[in-house]
Amino acid sequence: MESLRIPILKIGDILIASIQVNLHDASAVQFKDDLLQKIHATRAKGVIIDLTALDLVDSFIGRLIADIAAMAGLMGSRVVITGLQPAVAITLVELGLELPRVITALNLEKGLSVLQRLTAESGDGAA
Amino acid sequence: MGQPKSAVIRSDLDIVIARTMARDMAKALGFSAIDQARIATAVSELARNIYLYAGTGTVTVREVEKLGRKGIEIVCEDQGPGIPDIDLVMQDGYTTSRGMGMGLPGAKRLMDDFSIQSQVGVGTKVVLRKWRN
Repeated sequence: MESLRIPILKIGDILIASIQVNLHDASAVQFKDDLLQKIHATRAKGVIIDLTALDLVDSFIGRLIADIAAMAGLMGSRVVITGLQPAVAITLVELGLELPRVITALNLEKGLSVLQRLTAESGDGAA
Repeated sequence: MGQPKSAVIRSDLDIVIARTMARDMAKALGFSAIDQARIATAVSELARNIYLYAGTGTVTVREVEKLGRKGIEIVCEDQGPGIPDIDLVMQDGYTTSRGMGMGLPGAKRLMDDFSIQSQVGVGTKVVLRKWRN
């Protein structure tokens, strides 16, 4: 489990990562580092992190998601989180983690259109 | 009633093992998917507290029954430094580490019963219960 890396795919100027494993803390931190490096290397305008397969987001992972969105934002890339399961949304709010600054969408398809709109608004800075 | 199950917490991998163990038992006891997520998340928070503050400890899950109602009980114990001011750590947003300070108050909100005993220099014991609808 230690060496497990979450694959990050590049499509045009967007990165997509789908988290499909039961994340432990070290692999979650590794993912954050990998993703920020990849944003830098590819100059991606936007990132979608799909959490459809995750059945648990605790405060550590929740905080990490908020951190990733903030850090990517500082680099000039927008992050959209997609596919949160009902049980995950319920537990996050009950935990007290509403992640108000994180942009979300129901699923990958809707996430892509949100991201296209967001990156179109931000102009052609990365062109 | 089934046998209690225990997990020793020594690393961040053990946090995953403990919460998976709790979820499996909650599922076997007939808890809904949402309650399974609540239970597993509460265990994840407390197991991480053990890992961060005490280094090692144990998480034990067992089936319980009260007045004909079935439930799950989770006991998290460590022989760590203990908590000097429990009221303080039960406040939302209070943290001494890299967390968001959601661990204990968050776990309490996710469960039905919550009790904590702690003595400085001796350790901490948290007991959580959730009852099936």
